[in-house]
Amino acid sequence: MLVLGIETSTPQTSVALGSETGVVAASLLATGPASHELVVSEVARALDRAGMPRSALTAVSVGLGPGLFTGMRVGVAAAKAMAQGLGVPIVGFASLDLIAFSVRYCRRLICVAVDGKRKELFFAFYRPVPGGVTRTTEFEAAGPGRLVAELIARLEDILLVGNGTLVYRRELEEAGKHVEIASAAFGFPSATTLVELAIPRLQREDFDRLYDLRPNYVRKSDAEIAWDSRRRAD
Amino acid sequence: MRILGIETSCDETALAVVDDGRAVLANLISSQAHLHERFGGVVPEVASRAHLENLNPLLDLALRESGTTLKDIDAIAVTVGPGLVGALLVGITAAKALAFALGLPLIGVHHLEGHIYANVLAHGAIEPPFVAFLVSGGHTMLVHAPEPFRYRILGQTLDDAAGEAFDKVARFLGLGFPGGPELDRLAMMGDPDAIRFPRAVTQRGYDFSLSGLKTAVVRHVTAERGRGREPALEDVAASFQEAVVEVQVDKTLAAARDTGVATIVLGGGVVANTRLRALMSTRAEQAGIRLFTPPPELCTDNGAMIACAGFYRLSRGDRTALDVGASPGLPLG
Ligand SMILES: Nc1ncnc2c1ncn2[C@@H]1O[C@H](COP(=O)(O)OP(=O)(O)OP(=O)(O)O)[C@@H](O)[C@H]1O
Ligand SMILES: [Mg+2]
Repeated sequence: MLVLGIETSTPQTSVALGSETGVVAASLLATGPASHELVVSEVARALDRAGMPRSALTAVSVGLGPGLFTGMRVGVAAAKAMAQGLGVPIVGFASLDLIAFSVRYCRRLICVAVDGKRKELFFAFYRPVPGGVTRTTEFEAAGPGRLVAELIARLEDILLVGNGTLVYRRELEEAGKHVEIASAAFGFPSATTLVELAIPRLQREDFDRLYDLRPNYVRKSDAEIAWDSRRRAD
Repeated sequence: MRILGIETSCDETALAVVDDGRAVLANLISSQAHLHERFGGVVPEVASRAHLENLNPLLDLALRESGTTLKDIDAIAVTVGPGLVGALLVGITAAKALAFALGLPLIGVHHLEGHIYANVLAHGAIEPPFVAFLVSGGHTMLVHAPEPFRYRILGQTLDDAAGEAFDKVARFLGLGFPGGPELDRLAMMGDPDAIRFPRAVTQRGYDFSLSGLKTAVVRHVTAERGRGREPALEDVAASFQEAVVEVQVDKTLAAARDTGVATIVLGGGVVANTRLRALMSTRAEQAGIRLFTPPPELCTDNGAMIACAGFYRLSRGDRTALDVGASPGLPLG
């Protein structure tokens, strides 16, 4: 099995190649919009470095956000076309789940919050369980004030993680001493986690349907939001 | 050489399979007009989302319709600009991933060069020099092509593109979206001489301007209604269209005369306009000029024109690297 992971929903773009025995090549870019242009050539480079032909790829795993709209689309477009072109299965994962999974060994409630632009964060809460995490809330898009209220309402120790904490650190610190903000090193979803999580799903043939797989936008487009509020006003 | 052409620069997701830049085996267009209609124009975020959902099923359909498998494809051509950056990026990324997955050459195509090559699909290779009049939702442009793949812009619109003006006037008259074809249909029943709208011929050179004409239409209709009369909309449509088209034809023929070329090529969605086609054809014939016009269905955005332009680019050895990005303001030339 050789799985290709593609994660582009935050300003850190990453691709990774791996199998049951671990990751064999990975690359990470954080160069702004240019990193979107480099996704496919980074896949080519990773295969080169791993000394594998593209025909060795047996599946594609992709991060679905929520996150930055254009980034998510680039990742999902690349992953879907790659899967269709190679004729291999595809699996998708919520990008916030990837971040939570990477801090699963902490014995605390986990809150993942990524920057959603437009003065909002995308966030969700998780509990560590044996072998991983389980998400206990829906994904929500809201300003930092709302997230702080959610953190205060929970009366237990919380690990707050995600690149949203880099943007709104001052506001989020207001939540109180029961909330620890994790280091930025854990703040971005990564393609290596995508590969790791894909393996068990691929083994039980729990594939996603190529046509139906789409980014998790959570928020409507600005034009649709304006339209909805005009309709409500009428 | 069998080429898959992908076009996502605006609000049509379009895929085509074309042999040797000539034989159109499949040419599928998923129009998003119904998604944008309520907003009165194309919403970039809505367009980008729809492209992503449409692309993969459309590829399977195009392959099925052309009796082709991915193994039979020899190259991938894709629009790299100009257009909406987020929309372009979906098509470009998919094209790159397909090219890589299949080990095929990739060729990036300028959208307007695609509109020019729509003619080649219908009429075969066209020898330069020629003058191209490109007129669409985002462009009104006169271009001199002295030799293959070289373009010199002679003039363009100073305000609205012609398609945009058609759409806005149609919207003002209460017609559907996109308004160009609706206005064209309504104009057929009207009198083009009913109202003498201003012709912007006084402007120097080959530039175009439609804002004055647009205002004149609004003023006329509002004034009529102020007098308690409901203007005959078919006459307004026909008179507006006549004013637009007359100037376009005059300037295109002047450009051909001044550059000394004997061939005119039309391209872009507005070339579907019946009056533009008719008047250009009459006047070109009078002037002894060869006129190439794509069939109406190849005037608006499609993947076949991109595959065709891509074929000719590839044939002269052009290739596009896998790290190519979207160029929303890509210049022609
Ligand atoms: N019969 C017609 N008469 C007038 N305008 C028309 C007709 N048919 C289509 N159009 C106009 O053509 C435009 C669409 O053309 P096209 O698809 O080439 O535009 P685009 O791709 O959005 O713009 P561009 O090519 O500049 O990027 C619309 O504005 C539409 O109203
Ligand atoms: Mg066009």
